[in-house]
Amino acid sequence: MIPHYQVISPSFGELVWDQHPTDELLGFQLAYLTFIQSNFSDTLVEVRQGFTRISLVWKNPKTQLEFSAQLKNIKLPPLELSNTIWHVPVCYDPEYGQDLNALAKSKKINPIELIQVHLEPIYRIHFFGFLPGFFYLNGLSPLLHTPRKSVPMIAVPPGSVAIGGNQTGIYPMQSPGGWHIIGRSPLAFFDSKQPIPVWAKPGERVQFVPINASQFRNWKDTSPKSTSP
Amino acid sequence: MKEVIGKAKLLRCPPGTSLQDEGRLSGAKYGIPSSGAMDQRSFRWANHLLKNTSNAVALELSQPGLQIQFTQACLIALVGANALVNLNLNKVSNSSLIAITAGDILEIGAFLSGSRLYLCIQGGFQVERYLESGSDFESITFPFKRGTHDLLTYFSYPQSQNLGAKPKWVTSWFESPEIETYRGADWGLLSLAQQELIRSTTFHLSKFSNRMGIQLEELVSNQLKELPTNPVFPGTVQLTPGGKIIVLMRDAGVTGGYPRILQLTEEGQSILAQKKVGEPIRFQLLA
Repeated sequence: MIPHYQVISPSFGELVWDQHPTDELLGFQLAYLTFIQSNFSDTLVEVRQGFTRISLVWKNPKTQLEFSAQLKNIKLPPLELSNTIWHVPVCYDPEYGQDLNALAKSKKINPIELIQVHLEPIYRIHFFGFLPGFFYLNGLSPLLHTPRKSVPMIAVPPGSVAIGGNQTGIYPMQSPGGWHIIGRSPLAFFDSKQPIPVWAKPGERVQFVPINASQFRNWKDTSPKSTSP
Repeated sequence: MKEVIGKAKLLRCPPGTSLQDEGRLSGAKYGIPSSGAMDQRSFRWANHLLKNTSNAVALELSQPGLQIQFTQACLIALVGANALVNLNLNKVSNSSLIAITAGDILEIGAFLSGSRLYLCIQGGFQVERYLESGSDFESITFPFKRGTHDLLTYFSYPQSQNLGAKPKWVTSWFESPEIETYRGADWGLLSLAQQELIRSTTFHLSKFSNRMGIQLEELVSNQLKELPTNPVFPGTVQLTPGGKIIVLMRDAGVTGGYPRILQLTEEGQSILAQKKVGEPIRFQLLA
């Protein structure tokens, strides 16, 4: 999975992979990110990662040309992905997952089945985007893929667990949002008062753990637990 | 230099007022937007006039109506939109540099041209920086926007009364409709007809415009599929399945799933930031 380089402006371009997002592709992306950070960080203004691209903003155009010329000779093995799994409690009670019943109805399944399908996978964190601390997770069952709402909600509450397109995600803070809300987690997902404002890293995984409404209301510890099997 | 702490009191503060600087470059890995002044060209010029460091924090105004009082002497620069400015109820004819004495009240009236005005102060406004930036953003800085009765802190330096020749701020550079742009990462997904339409259409700014993005009125119909979510930047132009064109600005999220059809130059972003709702723009594609 060797990427090619697309020059967008004299000081800005992207590493491009044409594959669909997978664990394997993420392993290659993380390898390239590590390589770029250790060899080019002095010459870069900014690096951003998405599912199939890594964008690079260069301090000067010459370095971009040099990098782009070298790229085909850089053959990196994929990075082995972390085996850390974060356990994220979610209350799927309709009080917190206001779109759960309607979404289940549109799928012609009952809400319990929908919850089971959502709980089944262990999701892979690819990167953060959309909002500070918002995970882009891969692994949602195709059964639950759902177009975003045509009219977004003005204020999705923090901790909301939602489905939009082929993604599931968690709103770290109150925000307008067009995803279907199926539950809520009592954890804190972003804290700018911490030296590193998020607790998970790309390559790690997330497992949702169901809790009931009374557990949700009495939840004290907003920091997450993880295991590394 | 001996300095005294001064306070700038926002006696009246219109909506859309925030502290901004060059922005936050190292937060994207946590999903934190760039933020920073919408019109970087004006912001930089203001700091240059004051001999500030390039990242000194300034007040960004997007509406008239500010009334601000300074407790200590200072030197300020007003750059960006061409606005009516009063100092202690007297009209200021050239407001690019103003020597303020303790107790002065400054008022910003109608914007005659332009949409964003930067009030910069010698030494910059003093705020806690997060990831090296003092730019306001929700959940990142506290507070994340500025309102009536707020106080801003600055250092008051001994002032020489002679400002020398005052530079005149010109606004002609943002009055042309031409916006320079590169082809975006997904430009190649457009048909030749769509590419030609985007080059030749005069677009107009819609009322859906804020620090996150500026939506244009005219639609470009397309059958492009939604793509895997990938990085976006200030100045990235997205095309939605409904045909809407959205130019992402400084507070936009760091990734997006719509095709990224253009990437405005920084100059293009500054020009666009000064356009009002309803004003025309044309994209000038660079090689």
